[in-house]
Parts: sequence; C-alpha cells; structure tokens
Amino acid sequence: MRNVSKHYGSGHTMVTALDDVSLALAAGRLLAVLGPSGSGKTTMLSIIAGLLQPSSGEILLAGEPINLRGAAEAASFRRDNVGLVFQDHHLIPYLTALENLLLVPHLAGRVRLEHRQRAEKLLDEFDLTKRKSHKPSNLSGGERQRVAIARALMNDPTIMLVDEPTANLDTERGQKVLELLRGQIHAREMTCVMVTHDPRMAGQADQTLELVDGRVVNDGS
Amino acid sequence: MLAWKELLGSKLKFGLIAAAIGLVVALTLLMSAMSEGLITGMTGAKGSLAGDALVFQRDTQLSLERSLLTKDDLATISATPGVAKAYGVGHAMISVDAGGSVFDARILGLSDAFDQLPLLEGRLPQARQEAVVDATAKADGISLGDSVQLSPVGGDLTVVGFTHDRRYIMTPVFYVDMPTWLEVYSASLLGRTAGTVGAAAGAAAGDAAENTDTSPLTEQLSGGASIAAVFLDKGVTVDDLAARFGGRYEVATPQAAARAGNGMPVMVLAVDGIQVVSLLIGALVIGIFFYITTLHKTAQIAAVKALGSSNGYLYRQLWLQIAVLVTIAVVMGMVLALGAGASMPPAMAFDPGVAKWGVSLIAVYVMAFLGSLFSLRNILGIDPATALDRAEH
Repeated sequence: MRNVSKHYGSGHTMVTALDDVSLALAAGRLLAVLGPSGSGKTTMLSIIAGLLQPSSGEILLAGEPINLRGAAEAASFRRDNVGLVFQDHHLIPYLTALENLLLVPHLAGRVRLEHRQRAEKLLDEFDLTKRKSHKPSNLSGGERQRVAIARALMNDPTIMLVDEPTANLDTERGQKVLELLRGQIHAREMTCVMVTHDPRMAGQADQTLELVDGRVVNDGS
Repeated sequence: MLAWKELLGSKLKFGLIAAAIGLVVALTLLMSAMSEGLITGMTGAKGSLAGDALVFQRDTQLSLERSLLTKDDLATISATPGVAKAYGVGHAMISVDAGGSVFDARILGLSDAFDQLPLLEGRLPQARQEAVVDATAKADGISLGDSVQLSPVGGDLTVVGFTHDRRYIMTPVFYVDMPTWLEVYSASLLGRTAGTVGAAAGAAAGDAAENTDTSPLTEQLSGGASIAAVFLDKGVTVDDLAARFGGRYEVATPQAAARAGNGMPVMVLAVDGIQVVSLLIGALVIGIFFYITTLHKTAQIAAVKALGSSNGYLYRQLWLQIAVLVTIAVVMGMVLALGAGASMPPAMAFDPGVAKWGVSLIAVYVMAFLGSLFSLRNILGIDPATALDRAEH
C-alpha cells in the first residue's frame, strides 16, 4: 500500500477511515494489524481485497499498481488473487464443507475434476476429510474456521486477508488455527494480512502494524 | 447452484415462505373471483346475450326491466341499414314454486336464439312452456324434468335443460320461447293470478281457438319484446347504429348494457375498488416480504460477493429462487382459491376470470422481483466487509 487514504462523506461531515497508510509486505510473510474498533482495520482489508476503492494512494501487487475499474473487475481480481477468511467464518450454511470449497471455482466459472481433487486435498491437509459431507451447523467452531481457511486457499491466492480468525475460538483452538495458517502462508509463499485484537496472536506474526483513527501509530516491522 | 442448494437445504423454511405467499395469493384471487362473480351474478344473462348490440326503448337507461319494444319497433330495428340480423328478447320477473320452496327468478324469452346457451345437461326448448334454466336453480331444488309453478300468475314450466353463468340480479334465469314469455309477462302486467295464464298465452300465440283474452294490452304486446339483440354488418359499429337510430332507441354492446342500470355503475365501481385494493395490498405484502427475506441474507450475500461473485450472478440466483418460490406459491394459491370456489354453495358468486387472475399473478411476480431487487441493490451497495460486519453485530 502506498499513501492510501479513505474518506467517507465530504466537507465538515467527512470521516477519514484511513489516513495516508503505507506498508510493504514480502511474499511468505504474515502481517498482524492491531487496533481498536473503528481504527480502520476492516477498511484496510477491504481496500486490499478490492472491495473498496481508496480515496487516494494505490495498492501494488508484485510492484505493479492494481487499477480496478468497476465491480466486475474487482470481483475478478478477488477470484484470481485473494483469499478471504472472515471473523465469523461465513460458510454458506446449506452447503457441505466440500461444497463450500467448491463454491470458489463455481463462482469463477465451472467446477472441474481438478477443483474437486484440490478441495479434497485441502480438506485432507486440514484434517477435515471425515467432515467433508457435513454442513457448518454440524461442525465445531475450530472445524468451521479450518474449512473457511481451506476455502480461502482454493484459488491458490497471492494475498490472504484474514479478519480475526481466532476471535470465536478458545485459546487452544485459536493457537492451532493460527499455526495452520502460518504453515500454509510459508509453504505457499503467500502474503498475509491478519486483523486481530489479540496481542498474543499478533506476537506470532512476522510483522505487526498498529492503527489508531486510521493512522499507523506503530509499525513493528 | 446456490439457489437450488438453498431451496433444497431449507425445505421447511422455504415451504413456510411459499405457504405464506400462497395464502396471500389465494386471498387476492378469491377476492377477485368473488367480486367478479358478483358482477356475473348480477349481469351474466344480460351481458352474454348473443349479438353485437342490444337495443332498448328510448330513455330507459339500458334497463331490461323498463324497456319495451313493439312489433313495429322490432321491424324498424331489423330494417335499419347495418343490421344483419335481429331477434327479440323478452324479460319478466317471476316467483317460482318448486314444490313448496318459492324463489325469485327471471324469465327471458328468446326468439329462435336458444343455440347461444351453453348446455350443461338436458336439451334446448322445443315447445311452449319448456325452459332451460341457470344451474344455480338446482340449489333451490330444481331438477331436470321438473315441472315448476309460476307465482303469482300461475302456469307451469318444464325444465328441459340447464345452462350456466346465466343469472340476472343474482336470480336464476329461465329461458323460454317468446310466446311463453309474452304469456307470463302480460299476465304479470295485468295482475292476473293462477288459472288465467293459458288464456293470455292463446292471445300471444295468435291461436284463435285459445284466444279468449281480449285485453288490448296483450294485443299490443303481441310480436313485441323487451329489447332487441342485433348482429351488425361488417364494419358497422354500435356508434354507427346509434347514429342511424337518431335517438329513437338506446344502443349498447351487451357487456356495456350489462353494467348499466339497476345501480350497476356504482356496484361495478365498488367491485373494482375491492379488486384493486386487495391486489395492491396483496402485491405490496409480497414485495415487502421478499424485501425483508432478502435483507436477512445480507451476510450470506456479502460473503459470496467477497469470494469473487459478480453482481449479475447474485441477481440471477436470487431471481431464480424467487421464481421457483412464487411459482409454487401461485400454484398453491390457485388450488386453494379454486378449491374454496368449488366448495362454495352454487348460489354464491364466484367467477375466476382468466384476465383478472392473470393481472393478479403478474402483479405478484413483479412485486416479488421488485422487493428483492431493492433489497439486493441495497446490500450490493455496501462493501461486503461492512455488510458482514453489520450482520455480525
């Protein structure tokens, strides 16, 4: 990110969600973003994912600026490059674990045999093979978050964006999920930005960054 | 994929949604059919008279009860340029005694024009004192082959057939030939009571042997009718015919005439109001319903969008789901409405008009799609991360 700002509204009602934020992250590195509620963490993730356009500044991927024109181009960018893990997993409740993974290639066009094989392999890596036919309501909190991470890896993303992945898990399960995530990031040489409130989780990241009122107050790299 | 999976994965939820919409659809259709049935019950016999136009006596406000045309009038009407064919229609009010049960009815005399009546059972009249009757009279105890007493004028009619949707002012119509009509009508006008009808009939039929009625009124009525139904030459309009009559007679199409007189304009206005209000409320409820149910899926829609779905894909999935749900609801609603209609007593007004039901069902689909469209548009207007955040808190 280079000098990225995001403003909502205009004039005296203007709210600044991000204020001239710059950061660089190498492949295979995990960045933890800390900050209180309303500090701009979610806005930052949304801009990197192409869900929001910055008011100024630019996002670069492998040194090249990403210029997304319109919702369709942004959706295409996400399908090809971004893996997203939400705080509350947001698995589709009426799809099985396997179908949740296959949703990613389905949205990209068509589910082929190679996609099925990849989904099965990911579920196996995440120790979820026996749970692949279960719907989210029949999975534990930790299993759901693992399925969510596996889903985010389905498109072999360059950038992984993770929002509070351990917020709804106890310490032990949270630690396991984080270890799993770190292992995948390093193995696949992905760039990962993780938003967290938990300093213990942040302490295990390769880099940290603290936001307050949209500004970087502590670049721990 | 998602639309089907969600439908199949939540059968109970969507079944209840479809049932709720189905009930609203049924209510809308029932209101339409019952109010339309009221109009049919009031005007069915008049509005379905075969012909391009009905001709009434001047200044009678297209009222079947008030109009009276003489033999000369009928001849004038038949000879008017543009009239291809004309026949007289006689109207009389009567009470019918069906073995102790007395009910109001109307008698319509038709001059050799019985083939316009759709027969449910039996046959058309072939002789004097024979009648084809609207099937709602069955509820009053009338059966095929019955001989019914006319009151107070006396005389019998034999029921030889049943037709349908031929009521007038909510009473069943007895279709008879013109001599029989004239017999009943003149007896009614003269205030005759049981035992005197046969004499009047003789005069009407011009039968010298039976002509014991010397009333000047009966002689004047002979060969006349209440109104004339006319078929027009090709290219001739009702307005053309009215112009050619030069104000001597009143003219209207059967449908327009049916909705005139007897307070019908006010009733039609009220019925149209009922139909429009019930349709508007029904369609709005369905629109709001889908607006809310779509809003409830904010998190799911936002998650799918964040995963890389295009807006077009989300619209297609949502609309496919709504199309399936509304179609199931419409079928349920129609079955319910038709079932309710079938279980109603025959005398109860119920007329499921294809056009009116079509409009109702189109409105249901349109409002369902519009409701979800506004909802989805709002959801897609928020960035998914914010939408997910809102859904979580």
